[in-house]
Amino acid sequence: MSVLEITDVSKIFGAVRAVDSFSLNVADGELVCLLGPSGSGKSTLLRMVGGFERPSSGRITIDGEEITHLPPEKRPTGMVFQSHALWTHMNVFKNLAFGLKLRRLPAGEIKDKVEAVLELVGLAGYGTRMTHQLSGGQQQRVALARSLVLEPKILLLDEPFASLDQHLRERLREEVRDIQQRLRITTLFVTHGQDEALALADRIVVMRDGKTEQADRPDVVYREPRTPFVAGFIGTMNLVEGIVSNGVFTRSGFSVPLAAADGPATLAVRPEALELTPSASAGQAKVHRVTDFGTHGLVDLELPDGARLKAMVGHPQMFSNGQSVDLKPTAIAAYRDNALIHRS
Amino acid sequence: MPVVLVIWMVVWPIISAIVRTIWRPDASGAYGFNLDTYIFFFTDRYSLDNLSLTLWTTGICAILLLVICLPIALYLRFSAGRLPAYVQGLAIFPMFVPSIILSYAFIRVLGPNGMVDLILNAAGLPKIRTPYLTPWGPVIGLVWDNIPLTVLILLAGLGAVTNQSVEAARDVGAGPIRVFWDIILPRLGNSILVALSFTVLGLFSAFTLPYVLGPAAPEMMGPFMQRTFRDLYDPLNATTQAVIAFGFCLVFGLFYVRSVAKNRTP
Repeated sequence: MSVLEITDVSKIFGAVRAVDSFSLNVADGELVCLLGPSGSGKSTLLRMVGGFERPSSGRITIDGEEITHLPPEKRPTGMVFQSHALWTHMNVFKNLAFGLKLRRLPAGEIKDKVEAVLELVGLAGYGTRMTHQLSGGQQQRVALARSLVLEPKILLLDEPFASLDQHLRERLREEVRDIQQRLRITTLFVTHGQDEALALADRIVVMRDGKTEQADRPDVVYREPRTPFVAGFIGTMNLVEGIVSNGVFTRSGFSVPLAAADGPATLAVRPEALELTPSASAGQAKVHRVTDFGTHGLVDLELPDGARLKAMVGHPQMFSNGQSVDLKPTAIAAYRDNALIHRS
Repeated sequence: MPVVLVIWMVVWPIISAIVRTIWRPDASGAYGFNLDTYIFFFTDRYSLDNLSLTLWTTGICAILLLVICLPIALYLRFSAGRLPAYVQGLAIFPMFVPSIILSYAFIRVLGPNGMVDLILNAAGLPKIRTPYLTPWGPVIGLVWDNIPLTVLILLAGLGAVTNQSVEAARDVGAGPIRVFWDIILPRLGNSILVALSFTVLGLFSAFTLPYVLGPAAPEMMGPFMQRTFRDLYDPLNATTQAVIAFGFCLVFGLFYVRSVAKNRTP
């Protein structure tokens, strides 16, 4: 059963349609990532679920109860903000206890709940600290704990790690995933970081211009992108414009068999799905630059017409700048008019 | 250079005034410690009435300013669009009206046979009891005059309250009143203190509005000092009144300094 149902929701700001007839069902305990570039409408959508924006049209329900027009304080949701939004005049305990006090729980119960959730986020004993005495990561944990202590039906996370450094971000996202799985709390997570979405989500909803481009499991979104936008947005992808003629895709000496009707097409090949073999003759492409990452290498290639491709290789030392190579894609997809026309 | 200027223009006159009122010659011309003028001030009924009126006016103005300006500042901070811009313009407008113009506008509107009386008369209603030349006259004028500064100070203080901290409070279940009481007001405490300090300092030194709109007796400290100095030719008692007024201002000045220092402490 879906805990959260978003049906045909739109949000219009003046002449801008920030969210456009968007629908999504989120199952109990599921963690769904809303992924998209800035301005794709993901944060607006999250704010509508949290009650901070009123939808221009459409319907939002939680456990079958309509909440579309309820104010935030009356919704069974808990939001973690990008800027932590901790109350700096309160210590950690008071930040967490505030919502419980509003629910008029007995003092003993408040204390127990706050201590339990502080332990859950790894901040046991930090109750008396003021928020400015905490590191960025600790502050984000307090923000998460403040939402969790109220046991919301839906946890909303609005780019919670955006202000943290890469190392801390990776550590915290593991912790958030662990906590989410332990509590089995239904979660809607907004991010523009594909790594974050791929690492965290049960399902990724890729958004563009307020609409869903694709909603699937992370591996499906990565391996089987349904549109060229998703293909280009998730991970690194070579997108090559060319022509299909008699079952062959061609672009400037680079050709691939492709079972599709004749006409223009966009070929999508992941760098790891592009095999390179040194060529004694002119080859299909020339090596432009080789970057050695230690565990693997990334080879920048240039087709005769100047188009660029990337290929991931296991032994970068085998290649050098200016070298001629032949290309052999092992997995491809092709698109025409924003729709998938071939995958192999 | 600024330090020299402050010492010359501010510190020296203060020290000079205090010294001149407590270190004075007696009948034989010998200088000594003498608190007669202070004893006179604090035992003279009229002087005490004037001080009381000033404190009463200051207190009432401070309360009214908070009651009026806080909702305006909250509205301006948490609203967007064209209307808040107009409201802000209106709230700041009194800053550009000189006190003397304001005083005469007040008389023409609320004074005897002013605009309000004329309208009431045209409507067949009885005249109002005019606040002109009563203690409420300066209160109305001073509140009007101090609205811009108070709104600006409170607005600056509200700038420290982020939208997300308010949204976070609403998210955990706080309605508008609890958001104001538990989230906004604690962050605004310093700004309220600063606004009140400025208001009190301004009111104690106010002259034009109390002089034109206020009663002849008792009168506020500003007109009282001026009359003692110029009409009674009594510079010593006028200086004593100034030192006493300065003493009260100093207390509120310390509130301001404490507030600034607190703001700079992490």
